[in-house]
Amino acid sequence: MADIIVADSLEKVYGEGAAATRALSSASFAIEQGEFASLIGQSGSGKSTLLNLLGLLDTPTSGTVTIDGVDTSGLNRKERARLRGETVGFVFQFHHLLPEFSVAENMTMPIRIKGGSVGDDERTRVDELLDLLGLTGLADKNANQLSGGQKQRVAIGRALMNRPSLILADEPTGNLDSSNSSAVYELFREINRERGTALLIVTHDRGVAEMTDRILEMKDGELIQDVRNDYVS
Amino acid sequence: MLSLSIAARFLRSSVGQTILIIAGIGVGISVVIFVGSLITSLQADLIDSTVGSRPHVTLLPEDEGTLSGDLAATAREDDDVTTAIPVRRLTVIYTDGETSSPLSVTGGTSSDLDSVYGLDDAVVEGDFSLEEGEILVGTDFSERTGVAVGDTVPFVLPDGTTAEYRVAGIFDLGSAAANDRLAFLDPVSAQRALGVTEDQYSAIEIQVDDVFASTDVAGRLATDGVTVVDWQDENEELLSGLTAQSGSSFLIQAFVMVAVALGIASTLAISAVQKNRQIGILKAMGMTDGAAGRIFLFQAAILGVAGVLVGIGFGYLLIWGFSFAPVEFDVAPSPSLIATAAVIGIAVAMLSSIIPSRSTSRLDPIEVIQNG
Repeated sequence: MADIIVADSLEKVYGEGAAATRALSSASFAIEQGEFASLIGQSGSGKSTLLNLLGLLDTPTSGTVTIDGVDTSGLNRKERARLRGETVGFVFQFHHLLPEFSVAENMTMPIRIKGGSVGDDERTRVDELLDLLGLTGLADKNANQLSGGQKQRVAIGRALMNRPSLILADEPTGNLDSSNSSAVYELFREINRERGTALLIVTHDRGVAEMTDRILEMKDGELIQDVRNDYVS
Repeated sequence: MLSLSIAARFLRSSVGQTILIIAGIGVGISVVIFVGSLITSLQADLIDSTVGSRPHVTLLPEDEGTLSGDLAATAREDDDVTTAIPVRRLTVIYTDGETSSPLSVTGGTSSDLDSVYGLDDAVVEGDFSLEEGEILVGTDFSERTGVAVGDTVPFVLPDGTTAEYRVAGIFDLGSAAANDRLAFLDPVSAQRALGVTEDQYSAIEIQVDDVFASTDVAGRLATDGVTVVDWQDENEELLSGLTAQSGSSFLIQAFVMVAVALGIASTLAISAVQKNRQIGILKAMGMTDGAAGRIFLFQAAILGVAGVLVGIGFGYLLIWGFSFAPVEFDVAPSPSLIATAAVIGIAVAMLSSIIPSRSTSRLDPIEVIQNG
């Protein structure tokens, strides 16, 4: 399988001189298409920093990120925004839905940002995804009228709308109770299996990580472990 | 136009705030339209009552001579000139045995005099057409002396002789001084009283289309042997008063627009802060800086257009309300003023969005994503 994302010697330093803080040191790894991986580590270990660099939300102090064969180091803000919109789907710890819009409008927002129009096909896709997410019939509800777990599932649906090759999820169940958390993980597994979407999930919960195929572990800004998890069925 | 539809949705989601700011812009625009229309109409009325029924440019002979009627025909060829009439001017004295009062008499044909002085409308009693030997006098003169329509009255002419003229009508020119001191005489009697030939006149009285073009017209009509009198030279105080009035009205309008601009700018700045999170999310999903900045530009445009429309409505309402005020002139809304106010209102709204648009463009999605 080809690599969907490659991190090569990524470093991130905040501040300068004596006040400089190294948040990430020479992280190198690759994620293949269709891979389901997790990134674990304690708070402050640099997980979110790495995820933001991979998702082109932030730029590295040195090193390169290559997404779908495109070296992103030479891209300007606009080109990075476009590549991010086309290739990467984000799921955050907070659902980050737009409260002014309905569930369907939130889910189709990435298509409209890309410049596409929302017609019958897209509307059908919204309904299909909502069925998959267990949110059948909620398309026209306002995003604010949903429960926390429902909102997070809509956020996952939004990340899937553009058929991204890669989903980056930052503590996607951090704000959910245990039953909602396992429902979300089952959903990720299903999406990975049925659609071949690669996933990289950031979590501080080792139990959650053990449900994925590969575990990357960070400590003090360094990638200290990268293991295959062969116990997952 | 995703930015436009997001802008509209943001405005709809905080409808109270949106209505308040549209009302604010509307009030500002309506004040600009009302004050502008009021001052324009007031000045037009003032100018009309000052020179509407008077000559704007007068050609006089130098050295007590006379002018040929051909000069009036020449003046009429000028594009700006609407009326040019040859007249004979003389001063006569009315006496009732105890008191005597002078009258400035203008002699000319009824139709000529009507074209400058609007006599047809001004005559309140009798008839404005002047047959030979007939004179028109003013209301104040008539009341003071008891002279009435149909009376034959003796007047002392400039050469000391006396002539009798029949009073054909009594006019009201809207000014007590004019109604007491002016009179109009038929052309043949005036010619005889001055002892001049048929083509000898004492002045050419001219009206122009735009009263403020009188100075240009006066310049073009100046020739040797002719003194040109421009109404603007004779009414400098009035004109400088009008200029000061226009200046102060412009200042009021400018400050109202500044207040409107500050109102829109502060509302948009608050809205930009309120929507920071949403903008960060949109950017994280791939929205470009430019498209994110345009959201506030479109918000400003929507507020500006809606505010201007409301303002025009309010403006007409104020003008309509003013029609019940006990004043002697009507305020007419000027289309060019309304168009200017609309353009300025929308432009001011757009300018007010520059700061929030720029801060939105610069917003880094990470700040929002990390802070939840």
